[in-house]
Amino acid sequence: MELSKLFNNTGAWLSGTGTDSDIVISTRIRLARNAARFPFLSKATSTNKSDIERLFYESIKASSVTRDLFYVNINKSSAVDKQFLIERHLISKEHADSEGDRGVAFGKSETISLMVNEEDHLRIQVLHSGLELDETWKTIEEIDNELEKSVSFAFSPRFGYLTACPTNVGTGLRVSVMLHLPALSLTQHIEKVFNAVSKLGLVVRGFYGEGTKISGDLYQISNQFTLGKSEQEILEIIGGVIPRITGYERMARQALVKENKAQLEDRVWRSYGILKVGRIISSEEILHLISQVRLGVNIGIIKDIDIKSLNELFILTLPAHLQKSEGRTLDANQRDIIRASYVRNRLNGEKIGGEIKNV
Amino acid sequence: MNCESCNKNPANVHITEIYGEEKKERHLCEDCAQAASSSFTKMVSPSDILSNLISQVAPEIGEMSKIVCPVCKISYLEFRSQGRLGCPMDYSVFETGLIPLLEKMHSSSHHIGKVPLAAGEEIIKKNRLIQLRKDLNSAVEKEDYENAVVIRDAINELTGKTDGTE
Repeated sequence: MELSKLFNNTGAWLSGTGTDSDIVISTRIRLARNAARFPFLSKATSTNKSDIERLFYESIKASSVTRDLFYVNINKSSAVDKQFLIERHLISKEHADSEGDRGVAFGKSETISLMVNEEDHLRIQVLHSGLELDETWKTIEEIDNELEKSVSFAFSPRFGYLTACPTNVGTGLRVSVMLHLPALSLTQHIEKVFNAVSKLGLVVRGFYGEGTKISGDLYQISNQFTLGKSEQEILEIIGGVIPRITGYERMARQALVKENKAQLEDRVWRSYGILKVGRIISSEEILHLISQVRLGVNIGIIKDIDIKSLNELFILTLPAHLQKSEGRTLDANQRDIIRASYVRNRLNGEKIGGEIKNV
Repeated sequence: MNCESCNKNPANVHITEIYGEEKKERHLCEDCAQAASSSFTKMVSPSDILSNLISQVAPEIGEMSKIVCPVCKISYLEFRSQGRLGCPMDYSVFETGLIPLLEKMHSSSHHIGKVPLAAGEEIIKKNRLIQLRKDLNSAVEKEDYENAVVIRDAINELTGKTDGTE
């Protein structure tokens, strides 16, 4: 499968639709599973790894739910392609960086992704736009039920689904909801949210999951415990918390509109302005600018761009995406220039300004 | 620097002896140092210090450290230092050590969620019962007696069936 075919669109989870999509970017659920008769990956030989890959590849191809997914062999992928798949949230960094036979199966809409030989033999992921816990769970449970027909998963009555790391044992379930919380960050109320959330056994992470820093006011809230609670209970805990946070963020947005209207408008319009006319924009800066514009769109200050286009700007200007679109490797300085030019073209429809002729 | 005494091995034991006002430094190899002073014959090796420390911080590791999984050959100590288990069997081999660890991580060490169909109906039923009893407790706590009756009936039905088949 030629990855550049993916290039011109983005995954359905970036469509900007779904419940509470003015604050909730996406809902992601993943399940960790291992085949019963193989060692976990840290102790797997290269023969084990290729056997595990074949087992899951055949199982994926045998099921009507996953049969039509593309399959990419990560072991044979180039560094840029791996980065490209990370940027699209189809594989994890750990999956890209590990060794031996491994792969990923994903659908055209990029809603479903099955990582084979990541930290566990299989990681099933389903991603939806907005807050869609039930729908996401339904999809992932169906895939799990289907694969279970052809693979016997490592399971113990006491400990549940067995995983390489005991932090995932039991349900193997991680629910992550990505939130855009610019007003709570700006008014410095975000710490209160973190404290409340951690008391419920939930954790807050950055955009690319575990170990990544928070940028662009994007926060991922997910469950830390996977054992001792049923899948439904875990979903209910997250499902109960998110509306409280979105409610709190909306209050903070209203307060900003009421008390600091001019500053807010200025901040939003300046960010939009830089995106339209800037000549050098780093990946860190664009996250910040898009965050402000996203807020502007969601509270009605900016009306001539929609959330889907903003999400596209965000993904398509990530380093590997830029390099794939240019068809060559670019260093960070070159990328910042091309990123700015790409954004200008997208936002202005046509090129503005001219070339420098006489100096 | 070589050992002052035998002049063969590198000096890796450095002793400062103080007699009244006089200070004397000696640089010996391990062998000569042990021979020279009985107080060094019981020198504690770094690995002993480490295992002493571990048994203070996490007592279960001390007892567990020598256990090795017969299938994947990982030792409990290796698992604790890497954080990753070697194979599904480790969960039973290291069970004694894992239970307190899981309690710390998840505030529980019993799975009550989904069960693969292949694992059998008995487990599914057992987990369903654990879940229902939990629900019953929380319903009673909330004084939601209407719901509690429904849950109690469900428990009776499940256990009734179990009794019937046994």
